[in-house]
Amino acid sequence: MNHTKQNFWTKYVFATDHKVIGKQYIITGLIMALVGGYLSYVFRMQLAYPGQSIPLYGDMGPQQYNAFITLHGMIMFFWFAMPILLAGFGNLFIPLMIGTDDMAFPTVNMISFWIFFVSTIVLMVSFFLPGGAAAGGWTMYPPLSITAHQPTFWGSFFTGQTFLLLAVALEFVSMLMGGINFLTTTINKRAPGMTAFRLPIYVWFANLAGIIFMFSVGPLIAGAFMMLLDINMGTGFYDPYRGGDPILFQHLFWFFGHPEVYVLLLPSLGVTAEIISTFSRKPIFAYKTIIYMALIASVLSVIVWAHHQFISGIDPRMATFFSVGTILISIPFAAIILSYLATLWGGSIRLKMPMIWTIAGIGSFLIGGLTGLFLGSDTFDIYAHDTYFVIAHFHYVLIPVVIFGTFAAIYYWYPKYFGRMLNEKIGKIHFWLTFLSFHAFAFPLFFSGLQGEHRRIADYSSFDSLMTLPIQHIRIISTIATIILISSQLLLIINVFWSYRKGKVAGRNPWEANTLEWQTDSPPQHGNFEVYPEVYRGAYEYSLPDRTEDFYPQNEK
Amino acid sequence: MSTTTISIPSIKDVPQGRLGVWVLIAGELIIFGGLIACYILYRLRYPEWGEQAAHTSTPLGALNTIVLLTSSFTVVMSHTASIKKQLNKIVLWMSATIGLGLMFLVVKSIEYTNEISHGFTLTSPSLVAKGESVGANFWSFYYLATGLHALHVIVGMLILFIVMMGARKGKNLHRVELGGMYWHMVDIIWIFLFPLLYLAK
Amino acid sequence: MKIFPDNISTYGQEIDDLFYLILIFVSIAFLISIIALLIPLFRKREKAAYFTGDKWVHLKWVALPLTLLAISDFIILAKEHGTWARIEEQIPQADVHIGIIGRQWNWVFVYPGQDNELNTSDDIVVDEQNSELHVPVNKNIVIDIRAKDVLHTVTIPVLRFKQMAIPGRTIMKWFQATKPGKYEIQCSEICGLLHSRMRNFLAVEDENDYKKFLSELYQQNKQLENSLVSSK
Repeated sequence: MNHTKQNFWTKYVFATDHKVIGKQYIITGLIMALVGGYLSYVFRMQLAYPGQSIPLYGDMGPQQYNAFITLHGMIMFFWFAMPILLAGFGNLFIPLMIGTDDMAFPTVNMISFWIFFVSTIVLMVSFFLPGGAAAGGWTMYPPLSITAHQPTFWGSFFTGQTFLLLAVALEFVSMLMGGINFLTTTINKRAPGMTAFRLPIYVWFANLAGIIFMFSVGPLIAGAFMMLLDINMGTGFYDPYRGGDPILFQHLFWFFGHPEVYVLLLPSLGVTAEIISTFSRKPIFAYKTIIYMALIASVLSVIVWAHHQFISGIDPRMATFFSVGTILISIPFAAIILSYLATLWGGSIRLKMPMIWTIAGIGSFLIGGLTGLFLGSDTFDIYAHDTYFVIAHFHYVLIPVVIFGTFAAIYYWYPKYFGRMLNEKIGKIHFWLTFLSFHAFAFPLFFSGLQGEHRRIADYSSFDSLMTLPIQHIRIISTIATIILISSQLLLIINVFWSYRKGKVAGRNPWEANTLEWQTDSPPQHGNFEVYPEVYRGAYEYSLPDRTEDFYPQNEK
Repeated sequence: MSTTTISIPSIKDVPQGRLGVWVLIAGELIIFGGLIACYILYRLRYPEWGEQAAHTSTPLGALNTIVLLTSSFTVVMSHTASIKKQLNKIVLWMSATIGLGLMFLVVKSIEYTNEISHGFTLTSPSLVAKGESVGANFWSFYYLATGLHALHVIVGMLILFIVMMGARKGKNLHRVELGGMYWHMVDIIWIFLFPLLYLAK
Repeated sequence: MKIFPDNISTYGQEIDDLFYLILIFVSIAFLISIIALLIPLFRKREKAAYFTGDKWVHLKWVALPLTLLAISDFIILAKEHGTWARIEEQIPQADVHIGIIGRQWNWVFVYPGQDNELNTSDDIVVDEQNSELHVPVNKNIVIDIRAKDVLHTVTIPVLRFKQMAIPGRTIMKWFQATKPGKYEIQCSEICGLLHSRMRNFLAVEDENDYKKFLSELYQQNKQLENSLVSSK
């Protein structure tokens, strides 16, 4: 391959190098995370102190409240979690981990980032449209999402919901192109000797996530088209009085929406596997079982979607099937988590920042995963549906998975891509602030949910039973914790910039890890390897009994 | 930054493009799969929904099916020619394929004109006025599905055209096969749409 | 602080019990895993033990808890399926049959007219902010749930009752309240601007009060009709 000279534009902006594209995704994602975090700050303040003017925002009406919760969900899923965990890390790690120079289709890769970037801009513009941003909930259930917009003098096209749909559509196109790249690269460009069962688990999981995404998003793309026509052309695909069916959209949405959680979960579990094995100095426990269980979970993931609709008018007899499926899906994921715990067992554990984040992530995710059993049971869901119990549950799933996973990965791979270590002291303060404030924010919400506090309410003053004291205190505690959670991210930003200049120089393999990305320079040159590696063993050969060093790089003879 | 040209060792040698196109096709088929799932759900919910299929022109639809099937044949012929590196024949069969695609679009627009003149449009206000709003939804679906398919035909023709312009000069002959694969997918989608929208009454 | 609000329906206790049952399993699973997660962190080792976990000797330590999890899953499913079938799949004989319609932004209540049958021409519709849905205590109340414009969800936490209202469909659900009183009816599906103002009340009354309410309702309705006729 010919790596010709680059100028500023081809090196940093319209780059085809997977490392640059990966960083572009991650930076965009982190900026969007701040936007999403800001939104959550504003509406949490409104919940804690309804009707009062909010510092850094001003007065909030119900329209903005609805728009902000809608966009908070959308941004955190599609403009923070997806671009970072799947596109960003996938781009950064896959080619290096399999020992090749770049993605299979570098130009497609570049185009897919720029499509994603355009989608980000479309989304941000929607905040400033005359009618305000989309306010139908992040699930976009019709008929509300179709009828709620107030057409401007340009017609229904320039409304929040249309822009949101366009932005989501562009994002999906971008991620689909990314998925094509991942699969082709992994199947085709592995280094000699890199057999399927020698691949690092991250590579497996990122590809599985790509496959699940591709297999579940198609129907929603069709559904989004139908919604666009409903809004802008006056068709009635979801209008029950014109031969349409609002429930249809729910099916299309959740057929994608549920697997989407696993699309985020799998890459994050992949990151976890890399880190946990490296920092326990032990082979990952039951490598093949983990892969098989992930395959089973992927298959199950596309047949459990209707558990989001237990009370939304699906046939009650059908609910049983989905309840069984949902509860059964706990088994493969439990197997994966148990294998990780078994990896820790008997290990010589090095408690560095990546490992701390990973352990905190697993521990917190246990709460999220186990509370899923409550909601997967259709009977209890009658009570818990649409309450803060659900909110607490999915924040306990998504924050450990997305945010802790991302931070673990940043602390682990930062030396590889910037050549210097992140500061451990700032890291520890950042960790404890984030970890404690996260629990202080999310855990009390289980209790307010069980008290019957339902979600997406701008102001609870209409509901006397929900304005009683413990619940109001929970709202305030949660809000304060959210503010701490968001503002402590400043430490990470400081750490990243400080360490970029002053951090300890990392060297090639600061963590003494086995996978291929650690066997080249930090940061890797364009083209990744001086000598393209050949692979002789699996990714997790740590602490072999008859070897003095406790690691054994995959490419070492 | 080295500018040396080195071949990167890798484990497998499946042509990269073919793999990529297969994955792309899988993704596209699932979008149409979603549409077909909607079709099934609509029919299950409203038994009278499918009756409107009686108003679509089966002969023209059948003609279009034959046109597309023929174009599949011609695109295979161009692939055969590309293996033998017969550039003239590639151009010949490719332009035949593009021509058949064009013919498909012409027939399709004749159909659309007929249907619109009978009041079956994207929203079919005349049907709604008669109280047959369920039927109106069938037409919305019909235009969505066939329109999306026609869009794929147009994209396919563009792809084939670009491939043909390259192949004429003997460049990127492997792309003939890739374009052909995409074109087959466009055919297969039609094979699904035709019975659903024209025959199942 | 109590975990749940008071329960006033016949089946609410079963839902609460299911919660506690799952809570027991989940707490045990959580404790075991968190201990297994933390212990290795406090045991310093110079060199890690080497095992890949591909052999049964090691694998059984994963297989065993998995089996336990599968068993508890099965127990939960067995317990919850019975409850689900009783609450959602069978509608008992109706003592009182009423309708609830969600609209932006209050609940509309439909009482059967004097023929005591819903969906006939003499139905009485109460469409007011803050209005109360009157039902008798200890009777099977069957509700037809509809929506006029967008999705809404009828939520009555004290009854452990929740059902989405969908435009174009009629969904039948039931409950039986055991304690007189006035309770909130919430909407828990986002339904637009004033979603957070969408609140009505459920008034559970004993038989006599309910009859009195009905006769007053009929009276008012007649007056209304008469006034309409006379104004013509």
